[in-house]
Amino acid sequence: MAVAAAAARVWGSSRGLGRTGLLLLRRPGARGLARSLPRRQEQQHFPSLDDKPQFPGASAEFIDKLEFIQPNVISGIPVYRVMDRQGQIINPSEDPHLPQEKVLKFYRSMTLLNTMDRILYESQRQGRISFYMTNYGEEGTHVGSAAALDNTDLVFGQYREAGVLMYRDYPLELFMAQCYGNVSDLGKGRQMPVHYGCRERHFVTISSPLATQIPQAVGAAYAAKRANANRVVICYFGEGAASEGDAHAGFNFAATLECPIIFFCRNNGYAISTPTSEQYRGDGIAARGPGYGIMSIRVDGNDVFAVYNATKEARRRAVAENQPFLIEAMTYRIGHHSTSDDSSAYRSVDEVNYWDKQDHPISRLRHYLQSRGWWDDEQEKAWRKQSRKKVMEAFEQAERKPKPNPSLLFSDVYQEMPAQLRKQQEALARHLQTYGEHYPLDHFEKWDKAAVQQSDQEAIRAGPAQ
Amino acid sequence: MAALAATAGGLLRLRAAGAEGQWRRLRGAGLLRGLLQPDSATGVAAQRRLVAHFTFQPDPEPQEYGQTQKMNLFQAITSALDNSLAKDPTAVIFGEDVAFGGVFRCTVGLRDKYGKDRVFNTPLCEQGIVGFGIGIAVTGATAIAEIQFADYIFPAFDQIVNEAAKYRYRSGDLFNCGSLTIRAPWGCVGHGALYHSQSPEAFFAHCPGIKVVVPRSPFQAKGLLLSCIEDKNPCIFFEPKILYRAAVEQVPVEPYNVPLSQAEVIQEGSDITLVAWGTQVHVIREVAAMAQEKLGVSCEVIDLRTILPWDVDTVCKSVIKTGRLLISHEAPLTGGFASEISSTVQEECFLNLEAPISRVCGYDTPFPHIFEPFYIPDKWKCYDALRKMINY
Repeated sequence: MAVAAAAARVWGSSRGLGRTGLLLLRRPGARGLARSLPRRQEQQHFPSLDDKPQFPGASAEFIDKLEFIQPNVISGIPVYRVMDRQGQIINPSEDPHLPQEKVLKFYRSMTLLNTMDRILYESQRQGRISFYMTNYGEEGTHVGSAAALDNTDLVFGQYREAGVLMYRDYPLELFMAQCYGNVSDLGKGRQMPVHYGCRERHFVTISSPLATQIPQAVGAAYAAKRANANRVVICYFGEGAASEGDAHAGFNFAATLECPIIFFCRNNGYAISTPTSEQYRGDGIAARGPGYGIMSIRVDGNDVFAVYNATKEARRRAVAENQPFLIEAMTYRIGHHSTSDDSSAYRSVDEVNYWDKQDHPISRLRHYLQSRGWWDDEQEKAWRKQSRKKVMEAFEQAERKPKPNPSLLFSDVYQEMPAQLRKQQEALARHLQTYGEHYPLDHFEKWDKAAVQQSDQEAIRAGPAQ
Repeated sequence: MAALAATAGGLLRLRAAGAEGQWRRLRGAGLLRGLLQPDSATGVAAQRRLVAHFTFQPDPEPQEYGQTQKMNLFQAITSALDNSLAKDPTAVIFGEDVAFGGVFRCTVGLRDKYGKDRVFNTPLCEQGIVGFGIGIAVTGATAIAEIQFADYIFPAFDQIVNEAAKYRYRSGDLFNCGSLTIRAPWGCVGHGALYHSQSPEAFFAHCPGIKVVVPRSPFQAKGLLLSCIEDKNPCIFFEPKILYRAAVEQVPVEPYNVPLSQAEVIQEGSDITLVAWGTQVHVIREVAAMAQEKLGVSCEVIDLRTILPWDVDTVCKSVIKTGRLLISHEAPLTGGFASEISSTVQEECFLNLEAPISRVCGYDTPFPHIFEPFYIPDKWKCYDALRKMINY
């Protein structure tokens, strides 16, 4: 305790030290102790090579001038593009030189999606489906990125990425089945329209809460890394969802846990009615990446080749180096947020028309195709007719199909049905026997408990999704 | 959050180290005069930190699972995790501070044994921990996520309720996160106050799609945790922190399972059914002994074990026999899980009831610090409620 007394003279009252201070004193020569003994006043300053910050948290240089870092919102991160607004390649060395068939697939996917969107939006207006969300103006972000991935790369989406599924050849029948919630819906009619999912095509089922998919995608990427799967996970979200805490969580985890993931932000200017000026004050989403230690880029989302190039390179490096990449694809939401929205309430028709007419991913690609001699007006006419016909056929079929067996209301809550839930299922069955006329049973497949039991057993045998 | 968590762990360690060292330091610094003396001449009793409100009752050594070892609760957890990582190469454990062994030592030694890619720290972010865990589970790998205190699980509530619980249902069984297990220390600890004492099982009981499990002892904990990890549904496993060191019994070294959604009748009786889970099981066990001794009342004691989906049949069967039901939990009374049990039992067993169902629970307040001894549903409150039921 003589040490304590000596220390008390140096620091003043030993009471201020507390228990921690006493512990330090009991271990003389501890690093903290040696440094903190005050030196006698010295005039000389020796520039010391050792005079660098030693903090565990950050060890950049010292600076002796008070200066706040300016957030760079004026010049900001530049927007990478390959084509100009007329579809002409600007820098030939950036042209990915994709074969004709592949680029035609881009075009057909984007236009088929556009056609499907028009018809399904209308069908909601006519009361045939309950809800719909279009993808107008963002088709380039979907197709450019999907084309740069392997077919087995796992996709976590938000809700405006139907073009990714379209590119992966998800049949029109199944898009429609989900929107109608009919008996062919793989999702068994459980969710609102556009909440697609497909195990075979490695597209995780969409959920309505925003940004929840972001940390999940990171976990999936971590598992892929551990499995040496040579797979990347891509996670799509909008600039609005990027404000959610889950986005911050996902970015930080991906960087610290070194996950092979592509974060793909569709910055389309609006989150329902909220413009970007009310969503964030920094330089968009791309500027956040470096804050987490994440390689980041901003691209012209309406330039399908820019999106393709960025995603392709991000994929290659994410898998090779086990680190996340952030791509912010700048685009514009030409349509309303959904069928429950009328965007004329918060933006001008002129603004929308500009994007529709002057900077549309489909037009830009068509100009490119035409300038290569890979497409012409006749083919355009024929394809429009053909794609419309395909969509109408699928649509009519989807309308005619019944809804699934109502006892499917009760299955898949758990892998096995708990006893209490089975009792509730039986209670509904009995209720329908007496009161069935008040329920829309005509539109549904016949109640069949056995079908539900069978699907329980199949699920148990099938095992987990990949 | 983190500072307090470290402090809480630190508090427990210091407590374990004993008051001895503390006396020595204070005496040496000449500060002891005027402070607490064990037996003061003034006759005022020393203000000691109070003893626990329960006595842990170990179960008899299990015979059917092979060699056993003396383990406390956290060691039993470690053993379960060790077994899991040994037989399931996809299994990983993650959360705040799990790498060095965890603030409650549940993961000690596992990183060295299984590698840093399998036992690792995450940033301080519960919504991230659970979201990340869901993502691992979606690929089919086994994810064991630790939330440092159940009190801090709420940032992850959206991921648990809106995502994990609904993953299979909403996808039509195309996807699921069944191989996710979330573990969290739970319940009162003597000094935990608002944010180190909570029992949030009732929030999750209202969420179809997840399972919620609370063990009462090391043997139960290992078997139930292994069942949760192997279960094909996302599970939340609450570990009574006050039992981590205090509960010691013989636990099999090899893996074994204790079934989920099965309550256990740990003592048979004929006059009244007592239901609890976790630490409170030991309280009601003692109440059963008091009731027998002082009132000649024969109690049937049930450990519910799984809160969701809960074993309605075992509880109802018991109440049909005894005609009386007392349910007790630390969590606040209103909306606590006792209300669910009470409601179901009165539906199923109305005509068998001899008295209103009694709930002895925490008060409808946040969990207090200095008032903990008054807050908790201790054996005297349970005994008093039991007495009133018998005399109804």
